[in-house]
Amino acid sequence: MACYCAAMLSAQSTASHLVRLSGWPGALVWLLGWWLLTSLDGHLDLANQALVLVLLSALAALWLHVVLAMACCALAMMAFNYQFVPPRGTFTVDLHQHVWLLAAMLVVSWIVTWLMSRQRQLTQQAQQQAQRAQQLRLLGDQCRAADDARHMVDLLQSALRTLTGQPVAVMLVKPAPELACTLVGSANESEQSGLQLCASMSAQMGPGTGRHEEQPAWYLPLRASQGSLGAALLQLGAHAWILPWPDDLRLHAQALCDQLGLALERLQVQQQAMVDKEAAQAQTLRSTLLAAIAHDHRTPLATILGAASSLHDQAERLQPQQQRQLAAVIVDEAQQLARLTDNTLQLARLDAPGVVLQLDWESAEEIIGTVVRRARQRNPAVSVQTQLEPGLPLLRCDAVLLVQLLGNLVDNAMTHGAWPGQPPQVEVSARGADRMLRITVADRGPGLEGKVAAQASRRGTGVGLAVCQAIARVHGGQLRGLPRPGGGAQFELLLPVGSPPEGLPPDAVMPEQVQQQVQQQIQQQIQPQEKP
Amino acid sequence: MSLHVLLVEDDRDLRFTLKAALEAEGYNVHAAASLADAQALLAHANPPAGVDLVLLDLGLPDGDGEDFLASLRRNHHMPVLVVSARDAEPPRIRMLDAGADDYLVKPFSVAELLARMRVALRHRGRMVRPAIKHYAHAGLDVDLDKRVVCKDGQEVRLTPTEYQLLARLVRDAGRVVTHRQLLADVWGPDCVTHTHYLRLYMGQLRSKLENCPADPALLLTEPGVGYRLVEAPDTPA
Repeated sequence: MACYCAAMLSAQSTASHLVRLSGWPGALVWLLGWWLLTSLDGHLDLANQALVLVLLSALAALWLHVVLAMACCALAMMAFNYQFVPPRGTFTVDLHQHVWLLAAMLVVSWIVTWLMSRQRQLTQQAQQQAQRAQQLRLLGDQCRAADDARHMVDLLQSALRTLTGQPVAVMLVKPAPELACTLVGSANESEQSGLQLCASMSAQMGPGTGRHEEQPAWYLPLRASQGSLGAALLQLGAHAWILPWPDDLRLHAQALCDQLGLALERLQVQQQAMVDKEAAQAQTLRSTLLAAIAHDHRTPLATILGAASSLHDQAERLQPQQQRQLAAVIVDEAQQLARLTDNTLQLARLDAPGVVLQLDWESAEEIIGTVVRRARQRNPAVSVQTQLEPGLPLLRCDAVLLVQLLGNLVDNAMTHGAWPGQPPQVEVSARGADRMLRITVADRGPGLEGKVAAQASRRGTGVGLAVCQAIARVHGGQLRGLPRPGGGAQFELLLPVGSPPEGLPPDAVMPEQVQQQVQQQIQQQIQPQEKP
Repeated sequence: MSLHVLLVEDDRDLRFTLKAALEAEGYNVHAAASLADAQALLAHANPPAGVDLVLLDLGLPDGDGEDFLASLRRNHHMPVLVVSARDAEPPRIRMLDAGADDYLVKPFSVAELLARMRVALRHRGRMVRPAIKHYAHAGLDVDLDKRVVCKDGQEVRLTPTEYQLLARLVRDAGRVVTHRQLLADVWGPDCVTHTHYLRLYMGQLRSKLENCPADPALLLTEPGVGYRLVEAPDTPA
């Protein structure tokens, strides 16, 4: 539809430009008519011949320009006088009534010609108006469907090109303080500065605009409700100084440009609204998180302060065993607090823009091995099983972060992953799945719903899981919690697998002794061959 | 004779706690709150033989511990343990590569500190390394002189590269060897960024030497830093 419309418009505008130069069907009418008139000479009387002539001038006016058509009429009258009005072969007229006939004929043909051409002009204008309205509507619809400024600019560029058939360039100017320009199409340096000027002044420039009339192109601003968001450059072609393009074409082009200006403004407003919404959401999240962090820190601190002050103030009244218990509580809670601080810091770091990861090729086996080992050190009573598929691919990741993620999940499983009174059973498994690596941490506890309920009373979980999500996110992976078949909960981490550098590692650099031995062996092998 | 430890730590409470804990273990502790104090203590050390081990905090009021470590390494051979609240890894690797014997991130427990100090003292610093020639722990037996590796009494065939990697870890048993050090010493200085070699060969070594390769008990990973061969309690120095 758009294509068809554009093609039609293009053909129409080019033709309307050309028709002003060539009216060959009109000339053909005159030639054929004259031939008919000559061949019918003798069969028709003079009055009928005159009527044929009027008919011809009316027909020719359908194609010829009004001035040319009128000149043709005058010329035809003179020729008619010369050839058909007696005395033939002269321009003199014998009878008075023939003079009247010729004069009346000329006036009638002129009136008919003028009326015809006027009618034609009106029809043409109406058609043009309809087509332009259609083009404007189409551009508006397309811009509404587009969600990308560059695509919108392309649409405008092709719409403007159909108007003149000449090259078109469009420049987008970002508002201060950025002031970055994007140019679509080609424009030389002075044209680019012209575009910038046009956009900043928000005024048309070029022939017929009253500004920079000498330019061979129109500069049209992309006007929005406040200022312009850019400008369009319409080249006018080599013949523009002989036959200027009409003003209404420029006005239509300006209407198209304004359409784009408004669409771009709408896009900017939408984008700004989205940014604002995200910022507001982030702010809410941050406040919630801050409250959670403060709460999470306060609980172990209260325990530590309680135990420590008891040891400090009541030392002589406490049994040695009670003292040891209090000290153990302090150590436990301090470790918990240290992990919490690690998680909080990491969360803040990962939330900051431009986070830098220490990416390297890491083995999932090693990372899981480290996590499991640390978990056992922390709580030797817990049973942690691993199930690793052989030949796991290397991961491109930040090992420290991944250890923290899996450590948090294992911690979480150790804390919540058991029914009261039973030792927790944690299982860590890893397997490859369709260019992804799937690492699962599973327990046999009360399941996720129990965990969500427990989160309210149990500290640290909120921040810990938030860090896990953030770490998964910066690695382009995903983390989700699922109920485990057969009871319990499992957290599943999906990480994308890259392809490590090609080629096998070379052998180690050999120590000098080995190299010497090898050289001796080579020499021994060579020498016996040389002897015979 | 008790060992002399130079403790450089600017936080008063931590300095007090560590001093008390180390003295309880029989160490002779000289505490310094700044780099200037530490340098003065080193210069006038009593006995003149000096200090047996340095515990160095990184962020100090009158300069960075990193510079102090560099000057220490130029003039002294005693082991240096870096203690820092900076948990980001690049400084940790940089410290180890710059000659620190170990790196502890705050907070840490006294037990952990004492264990690391024992390992560092056993190696007696980096510069005059009485290279460990023999390692025996948890069924693994490595004799660097004879180039023989045994697992539970059975000889294990290692490729030359695997052997060199193991030997490098044995020489620093109990300590972290950074990726960079391993790659430079085994494959040569051109290969220091090719960590994926290490992953491959460590996997192979584990499958030959560990009871359960997925849950290693000997060849431990220090994520983002390097590898550590578990310290053998009776490693002969």
